[in-house]
Amino acid sequence: MTTKLFFSIVFLCIGTLLQEFFLPHIALFQVSPDIMTIFIVFIAITVDQKRSTSFGFAAGILTGIFSGNMGLNMLARTIEGFIAGYFHIPEESHATSRQKTRRFYMAILAACFCGNAVMSAGYNPLGLTPAYRIIVLGFLESLFTLMLALILNWLFLRKSFAD
Amino acid sequence: MPKFFTLFFKYNNYLLFVVCCSISLLFIKLQNDDTLENLRTGSIEFSAAVNEKLTNITYLLNLDKENERLMRVNADLLTRTINLETTAVDERNRSKILTDSTFNASGFIMARVVDRKFSDRENMLLINAGWKNGIKKDMTVLVPEGLVGRVIAVSEHYAKVLPVINTDFKVSVVSDSSNTMGILSWNGGQESIAQVEQVPISSRLKLNEHMVTSDFSTFSTRGIPVGRVVRITPDKLFCTIDLRLAVDFSSLTQVLIAPLKIEAEKAAIANESALIEQLP
Repeated sequence: MTTKLFFSIVFLCIGTLLQEFFLPHIALFQVSPDIMTIFIVFIAITVDQKRSTSFGFAAGILTGIFSGNMGLNMLARTIEGFIAGYFHIPEESHATSRQKTRRFYMAILAACFCGNAVMSAGYNPLGLTPAYRIIVLGFLESLFTLMLALILNWLFLRKSFAD
Repeated sequence: MPKFFTLFFKYNNYLLFVVCCSISLLFIKLQNDDTLENLRTGSIEFSAAVNEKLTNITYLLNLDKENERLMRVNADLLTRTINLETTAVDERNRSKILTDSTFNASGFIMARVVDRKFSDRENMLLINAGWKNGIKKDMTVLVPEGLVGRVIAVSEHYAKVLPVINTDFKVSVVSDSSNTMGILSWNGGQESIAQVEQVPISSRLKLNEHMVTSDFSTFSTRGIPVGRVVRITPDKLFCTIDLRLAVDFSSLTQVLIAPLKIEAEKAAIANESALIEQLP
């Protein structure tokens, strides 16, 4: 349990660094995929809602430090973690790998869209209309994040969602 | 009480969520707090440093493309430079011819160097124009590139010219940019290098500045190019200036002789004549 927690924290830090320094370089239409959401959703699916909310909060602190918008990041990530928690798959469930993966993707879409909506509502550096930011950019970010999740799932996470 | 704990454990997900959201909102409210501001500043510095390194790595990875792009730019610039230089040379040659004809038209006398004596005893030029051609003593001898010397003796068909590269030759010069004045002379040695004396150490004269004859000269009209500053050696009170002469004396064949400078009034007052007394 402690080892798992330790590794989760390490991944959280690595994820923050990737999110801040690497992913902006592969942005399309000023929107980059959100690896932190994938991480939070993964925690929510595999552990529980409490842990995902806590990790969301922590992820918000870390990303907030770099982005300069700490409070809003914390709020958005906490909400992401909390929403993703509703997609949690209990260990004793008999869900198939396919079902788990589908739930994982749905959780990513939901969490990412909600988190982006919160961020858009509180911070608008480009002076875009809230509707455009929330709907268009939120949808785009969710889509990019989903694509990244597909790649990550194919490369690393398949084992975690095994039957 | 047990009921409260049951509720607490049952809904602790929500409680945790509410607590986290409250802290987040508190942070939003304290956005401009000094501590948070410092933290933000520190993180921006860190972020900038990491991004700089990443940019450097990206730059290194794209070096081939960058080199290729620069080569293309270089080729383009080289072509443009060559074109411009060619045009400039053509234009210079054209204006040189035009300038020469202006000299002729405005009373300059053309002459050919018929003899030159460069030795440790004598350093003179002999030109094939004398008093019959209008040559007089103290006339300025020049070429379009610059000052050659001064006529010191005239016969019917020939004249003797004291060139700049003679230890007895002196002329007042001034720099074109900083207006620094001095006396040009030649101390022997290299024939392309002359010296400028009496330049104060405080002067703003710089290397590569061009020097021309000044109005103070008793024989030469002002503005004739003399040379370019190639070395400035500061002494106690004055600087010693080395000047690369504009005229190549080794290939001098044709020269122009400028009309005599007529400044009787100036000469008179310089010689303390009674001219001022004549004034009412």
